[in-house]
Amino acid sequence: MDGKQPSKLSRREMLKLTALTGTSVALGGLGAFTLLKPESNAPNDAKNEGIKKTEKSIPFYGKHQAGIATPQQPFAYVAALDLTTSRRSDVMKLFRDWTSLSFVLTKGEPINTKQDNKYLPPIDTGEALDFSSSRLTITFGFGPSFFMKDGVDRYGLAKHQPKHLKTLPPFANEELHPDQSNGDLCIQVCAENQQVAFHAIRNLTRNALGLATVRWMQHGFLGMKEGATPRNLFGFKDGTANIDTGKEAELDRVVWAGEDEPEWMNGGSYMVYRKIKMFLEIWDRSSLQDQEDTFGRHKYSGAPYGRANEFDAVDMSAQPDNSHVRLAKGTGQEIVRRAYSYTGELDTKTGYSDAGLLFISYQQNPYKQLVPMLKILGQKDKMNEYTKTVASALFAMPGGCAQGQYIAQALFES
Amino acid sequence: MKRIFLITTIACTFLFAAGCSSNTSNGADAANSEKQTVQEVAQENGISSEMKTSVDELNQLIDKLEQAVSTNEMDNVKKQGKEMNSYWLTFENGVRTEFPFEYTEIEKHLQPIYIEAVKEQPNTENMKKEIPLLKTALTELASAKKGTNKASEQLQKAAGEYKTYVLEQSKDLVAATTAFTDAVIKGDMQAAKELYPKARVFYERIEPIAESFGDLDPSIDARENDAEDLAKWGGFHRIEKALWIEKKLDGQADVAKQLMKDVNQLDGLIQNVQLTPEQIVAGSMELLNEAGISKITGEEERYSRLDLVDLAANVEGSKAVYLTVKSALVSSHSDLTEKLDKEFEEFEIALNQYREGDSFIAYDKLDEKQIREMSQKLTSLSQTMSQIANVL
Repeated sequence: MDGKQPSKLSRREMLKLTALTGTSVALGGLGAFTLLKPESNAPNDAKNEGIKKTEKSIPFYGKHQAGIATPQQPFAYVAALDLTTSRRSDVMKLFRDWTSLSFVLTKGEPINTKQDNKYLPPIDTGEALDFSSSRLTITFGFGPSFFMKDGVDRYGLAKHQPKHLKTLPPFANEELHPDQSNGDLCIQVCAENQQVAFHAIRNLTRNALGLATVRWMQHGFLGMKEGATPRNLFGFKDGTANIDTGKEAELDRVVWAGEDEPEWMNGGSYMVYRKIKMFLEIWDRSSLQDQEDTFGRHKYSGAPYGRANEFDAVDMSAQPDNSHVRLAKGTGQEIVRRAYSYTGELDTKTGYSDAGLLFISYQQNPYKQLVPMLKILGQKDKMNEYTKTVASALFAMPGGCAQGQYIAQALFES
Repeated sequence: MKRIFLITTIACTFLFAAGCSSNTSNGADAANSEKQTVQEVAQENGISSEMKTSVDELNQLIDKLEQAVSTNEMDNVKKQGKEMNSYWLTFENGVRTEFPFEYTEIEKHLQPIYIEAVKEQPNTENMKKEIPLLKTALTELASAKKGTNKASEQLQKAAGEYKTYVLEQSKDLVAATTAFTDAVIKGDMQAAKELYPKARVFYERIEPIAESFGDLDPSIDARENDAEDLAKWGGFHRIEKALWIEKKLDGQADVAKQLMKDVNQLDGLIQNVQLTPEQIVAGSMELLNEAGISKITGEEERYSRLDLVDLAANVEGSKAVYLTVKSALVSSHSDLTEKLDKEFEEFEIALNQYREGDSFIAYDKLDEKQIREMSQKLTSLSQTMSQIANVL
């Protein structure tokens, strides 16, 4: 080019450069989907105030992300996304936008209903406009492939990969579908109203278009009754042994990341997701005795074998060999479970239902607290006759953020 | 004198775009004689002397390319084409920001030349047609004044330019359909099969316009399940079925004659159609929605499996709208145009993997993953395109 030095990098050159080095180059953002200013904290319209009830909303900002220690809501969507952009600045921008969007959504406010240009699509898709926040929580996480994919440190952040964020090892009794497992990013949305939950995940994923694609999305539900442990689709109480999530000291011990983690994980946790298919037709023709032996609990009362009440301490001597309770309890580890049930389409080949459990747990160290449990359950659990794990993922969930900051800011700006 | 010159070059492009090709050589001559006047024009609100140097340099590279084209040295065509493009990349950013209107004109002609030059076998006829237009566009840049084109004027111009595009496509549609229906009437299966996709392209690029004329689109483009009365089902897809499934053309001559009549009628209606900026922007979205609903799913060309031909044509038609409104969009939404340039390019790269000769591989040769990849790129592109209404 006759020795002429380009005075500025062109767009295409800049793209190439960033793709190669993974450095972040501020390009002024991708304004097309900028929804609102990061600090938009405007009070509701007078009109909205009458309709919207925000008193039940769960604060989005805080030391920890909501949706982990939060008492479980009955509906959930979990989605994993794969990033298609190679620029760290794009991902930063995405988290900035997601943070401000999540703040508005969890308050139960419309995203933006003032629109002068009617030729543009509506900014808020609208299906949640008539509902309150419905105790909506939105929780974000990072998978191992966010940091390293195909041996490449994609965003120059591999040095900040959390200690225990490594793809889970294979376990017995699993047959994983790769396209329903893992992923670069995770969003967990929970609410008391399914439509509110769907609205949130829909608008969040829409906001990521062009930067990330949805790898998988799974809905979950949980029949809840005040003061009662919810039951799974096998009809047994599920979550009896959970720790008291109201006690911060318990959470510090079991859930929140340790001090030896990178700074951005301060106040964060690890989420394990296991999609466990239940063979309901087979379960339903098993005797009550068989079913109870499988769990090591009585179906109706929820009491462990040899005891009268649900919350009585487990008597290991009364537990059948290889019962679920015996094996899980035997590891001596604790976790916070936030499991949901799921149902899908009928299997057209067999006529079986597709249903099961979304095992979701939060813990400080999945390799210490959960992997041994999964290993032994995979090998020995009597329940394996009726289940198969079909999808799996591990995500690092960063700590929460204060208003004016955004989720995982300490990671991106480290 | 300079002022007058400026006006005539712009008018020339207008006229040329409308089919007044005799002005081509004037444009080229003007570009050659322009080198002297560039310096004088480059004052006040005009282009900087640095940009002027770049324009001169680019003009020289284009001259070299033109030389290679005229002597048919293909290796050199490729080399010079690449050099021209690389050089343009070194200063296009500045042009885009300061002279969006002129920038669009340059891109409109430079890109086709470049794309042709780097092909395995460049079509030099296309290049010979585009090179003088590119030079004219550069001449316009050399004499441009900042901020002389307001958004509303640009939009009106965009609508006019798009009308020109529609007229061209319609004209080509008539020609290609004539060849296709002639083959059908003659009962020449092989020729008809080859000519079918060539006609489809022009229709799919401007489909929303045809759809705006009530019964014409159903008559030309109905699929089997769209037909109310199968006995009366006609149009492209009826013949498609005869060619690829029934493998005989018995009784198709009448269908072909009716199709030709419909396409001619469409062409007549298009001559007088008035297009507003709102309509063309909506049309660009309709095209992408068509692509996303019936093309990427393989429903449109279910017998010939030429869905990718239609898919490409829908996106090309949508891009034509984008390119005409780009200059109005770029001043206030350069982030958006930048994103769209990138996403169109990415989609084209994804689609081009499946090119085969001057067509595409059959839809049923694609696996689910390949379709998903294209579909996701198309979804991102469409979502971003929905924002071009910001220009209105």
